Amino acid sequence: MDFAFTQEQLVMRKTIIDFARQELNPGLAERDRLGLFPRQLWEKCAEMRLLAMPFPEQYGGDGFDFVSTVAVYHALGYASKDSGLVHALMTQIISGLQILLFGSEELKAKNLPNIASGKLIYAQAITEPGSGSDALAMRTTARKVGDGYILNGTKTMISNGPVADRVLIFAVTDPVKKPFGGVSCFIVSQGDPGFSAGKPMEKMGLRTLTNGELVFSDCRVPSLALIGREGQGSMLFGETMEWERTLIPACLLGELERIIEECVKYAKERQAFGQSIGDFQAISHKLARMKMNAELGALALYSAAALKNRRKRAAMETSTAKLFISESLKQAALDAVQIRGGYGYMSEYDAERELRDSIASTIYSGTSEMQLNIIARLAGL
Amino acid sequence: MSTSDTIRDFIAGEILHGSQKIPLKDQDPLIESGIIDSLGVMILLTFIEERFSIQIPSEDLMPENFSSISTITDLIERRLDD
Repeated sequence: MDFAFTQEQLVMRKTIIDFARQELNPGLAERDRLGLFPRQLWEKCAEMRLLAMPFPEQYGGDGFDFVSTVAVYHALGYASKDSGLVHALMTQIISGLQILLFGSEELKAKNLPNIASGKLIYAQAITEPGSGSDALAMRTTARKVGDGYILNGTKTMISNGPVADRVLIFAVTDPVKKPFGGVSCFIVSQGDPGFSAGKPMEKMGLRTLTNGELVFSDCRVPSLALIGREGQGSMLFGETMEWERTLIPACLLGELERIIEECVKYAKERQAFGQSIGDFQAISHKLARMKMNAELGALALYSAAALKNRRKRAAMETSTAKLFISESLKQAALDAVQIRGGYGYMSEYDAERELRDSIASTIYSGTSEMQLNIIARLAGL
Repeated sequence: MSTSDTIRDFIAGEILHGSQKIPLKDQDPLIESGIIDSLGVMILLTFIEERFSIQIPSEDLMPENFSSISTITDLIERRLDD
């Protein structure tokens, strides 16, 4: 396998790195402190076509292959310190991929141009107060009534939820066939009667990403709002997770690489006991482990991306990439604080925020424990 | 080996790990009986696509296509004919 970037990918990566450093990082500390979603920066990212990359030109996208999309989001994660905004962008892309892969022609034509342009913000709603890792144990229902469905239930901690114009919601359409053939996916619009979004929830990290509760109370949607076919929800979910577990670790790997660069620079400059702290093995071995994990993470990531690019199944590869890179990032972020000592603990510096942001990565898109369960099953256990 | 026997062997060995003493019949329910769950289907899909060199498109990712060895065999043979 050849994992070298093409000339076009190298140019795109450099463009995005320059853009992110110049446009996305200034003012982050204040936005993080206040927990503000940066709508203006979202629009700048959209102008840079970051939301259009994987979607066909006929739907307003730029028609790039998936490996190129992963390469660019890898660069975005590296250069943008605003991990919350990056997560919001990824949520939009994943929502779009669900519609692209499973939606009717009408749904694609209606939604993908808005996703690619960033004009509307999308979210996907699976998690409920009583079901997280056991996602298909959801209780939200969609009852068939006439030529449509009536939704009832509550989703929680939904990324982009408080600011979303459209939400892809999973609900039980057949309690008897639940969870496997009794879950379906619908698209709901902000403003639909019976649909309301709560305020952003306070959280430890990713504070520029909004997460919140969505309530559906006798919310009527037409049959046309069904993504895929009735009962296809669990398979749609499983398929989409493979794409999500490739795109998300791309950004996380970029963050890991940035943390390593900054730690190496600090370890060379910071003096203690008459020498650079990087000359102490206690520090250099931490950095060597970070570097080793980044190298191995890149192999796992692009191996998974290459499979998805060819529309191959990649449950093992995507779970491995997601698990390994997110755990490596969390450990590196913790080590980065330790290397800096007291400075690492101060909110004035990036390391403190990066640690808070990194913790979520081993929870969302399937916890590390769930990834291990999947890998164990795929290994034959 | 027939398509249905190939699927039967895979489910017996790789999903049930040999725990099923009586061989599965073509019409035995796989989902309702809990023999395969959502992750089990993903494991089966990976095997089917590699073993038969076919691609199962999104529109065929329906639970009823995986409800028995018979429906899985039909799905594979439809795709082989395409």
